[in-house]
Amino acid sequence: MSDLSVSVSSTGRAASPTLPEAPAKVTVRNLNFYYGEHHALKNINLTLGTNRVTAFIGPSGCGKSTLLRIFNRMYDLYPGQRATGQLMLDQTNILDPRLDLNLLRARVGMVFQKPTPFPMTIYENIAFGIRLYEKISKSEMDDRVEKALRGGALWNEVKDKLNASGLSLSGGQQQRLCIARTVAVRPEVILFDEPCSALDPISTAKVEELIQELAEDYTIAIVTHNMQQAARVSDKTAFMYLGELIEFDETSKIFTSPSDRRTQDYITGRFG
Amino acid sequence: MTQGIGVAEMAVQSDIVDDAGPYDRAKALSAFKLGDLTFYWITRLSAISVLLILGGIILSLIVGAFPAMKEYGLSFLWTQRWAPSADPPVLGALGPMYGTLVTSFIAMLIAIPVGIGIAIFLTELCPQWLRRPIGMAVELLAGIPSIIYGMWGFFVLGPFLANTFQPFMIRLFDGVPVLGAVFAGPPSYLSLFNAALILAIMVLPFITSISVDVFKTVPPVLKEAAYGVGCTTWEVVRSVVIPYTRVGIIGGVMLALGRALGETMAVTFIIGNSFRIQSSIFAPGTTISAAIASEFAESDGLHQSGLILLGLLLFVLTFFVLAGARLMLLRLEKKAGK
Repeated sequence: MSDLSVSVSSTGRAASPTLPEAPAKVTVRNLNFYYGEHHALKNINLTLGTNRVTAFIGPSGCGKSTLLRIFNRMYDLYPGQRATGQLMLDQTNILDPRLDLNLLRARVGMVFQKPTPFPMTIYENIAFGIRLYEKISKSEMDDRVEKALRGGALWNEVKDKLNASGLSLSGGQQQRLCIARTVAVRPEVILFDEPCSALDPISTAKVEELIQELAEDYTIAIVTHNMQQAARVSDKTAFMYLGELIEFDETSKIFTSPSDRRTQDYITGRFG
Repeated sequence: MTQGIGVAEMAVQSDIVDDAGPYDRAKALSAFKLGDLTFYWITRLSAISVLLILGGIILSLIVGAFPAMKEYGLSFLWTQRWAPSADPPVLGALGPMYGTLVTSFIAMLIAIPVGIGIAIFLTELCPQWLRRPIGMAVELLAGIPSIIYGMWGFFVLGPFLANTFQPFMIRLFDGVPVLGAVFAGPPSYLSLFNAALILAIMVLPFITSISVDVFKTVPPVLKEAAYGVGCTTWEVVRSVVIPYTRVGIIGGVMLALGRALGETMAVTFIIGNSFRIQSSIFAPGTTISAAIASEFAESDGLHQSGLILLGLLLFVLTFFVLAGARLMLLRLEKKAGK
């Protein structure tokens, strides 16, 4: 075990004494997912703890992004994709075909692999999402936008150019704008799909820090290819392989003494 | 130029003949150089020929229009009367210019929302199996010769509109200020509105197919992000897809507008060829191209020169409209902070 290439950083959440078991925010039971005929997720069972960060790791194609995209029913946009099993957000059945997807997505926000600012000003990028759900006055909106941008650790950098295009920001700033935009809608769960894969190390550090701060108010699920990142930011880690959930445990346990051989091989870099 | 090619060929051939000797890379390269030079000049001449042809057309238009310009001067622009057989002939371009602008304007008013609407349906909402048939039908619309549109407009659409839509609109707006004058009777088979409707159908495929192409360039992840904050399809289209593709859409609209301004055959059939300007869009009118097409064969002297001057005006009008659209595009881009 001593030759584990991933050492748990001393500043990471996982290094702190194990947090008490949190009440479940999202419960996944016997979840299966199909791309047409292809059986992409096999019998997944896990829970996301309230105000905890859960990381999903595994080699490419293992189904971790697929799983994330079920949490907000993003797969619904594409014909031929379907999920079976049970997926509860508190008392709401996410897989219920009658569920209002727009309201679900207000409760479950998502940040993508690449920064996706909308083609409008920085201010509008934030106000846009808020306006979908609330009718508020201009001054209230200003407050909300400022709060969201502060929440996205971006306020100080953009406060003088709120009317500039969101596309004029750097990649790292754009990603934090997207996080601020997600936060602005006041979701309960935030999904991060490899949020740092297009960012440089400094921007990555900022986003990671932000994720840790957000965990105080939100339930977070993050898919990442970067194992150090999973170790740094998450409380629990799920290792997936070929559409199956191999191991799901405290992050400190996964990275120091995993119980499955495949988990150990993956985190020590023997495959993947 | 042909000499250059000949030399290049000879060089290559001599290379083959001298096969016995060591391969001479420098010689081969010099042959290629000649070839390159030839190629460079051929492409350059092709490009320059565009300028020459354009300049030639403008020049011959100006030469042909000169007698009329000298006779009528600028008053040609605001004279409504068109009496080529009067003595001396009185010619004014106001009627055709008005008709050209009004028909194109109405055509775009109809074609832009419908064309973009079809594109949105095809890219965002349409079930896969329906996509190809509709897409192909739209492309086929573009392939129908304009004379067919003209005949269809004359025999089918014109009578239909005159019997149903026109009386309805005339009754609906009867007595309403301004609009009452715009939709005034009597209904007519041949009218500005009928021509505009045909134009709208004709330019629809341009707007739709270009919009479909640019809508497809929107990164799926950007749309997912918009759906991800809880947007409905309509909100995604309005706030993300259309702003993201604005430049491309305007390009398509400009192309369509260019076509509408210059379209001749179909319009000549159904516009009525009346030089009088009337407030009602259900009244007959004419456009610049329709006036030229219907009169040019029997014209001579000052009349013909006047028609050529009309052609020159259309040229200038189209140029300004397209230049204006381009300017608007630049402004939009600046505003979007790109």
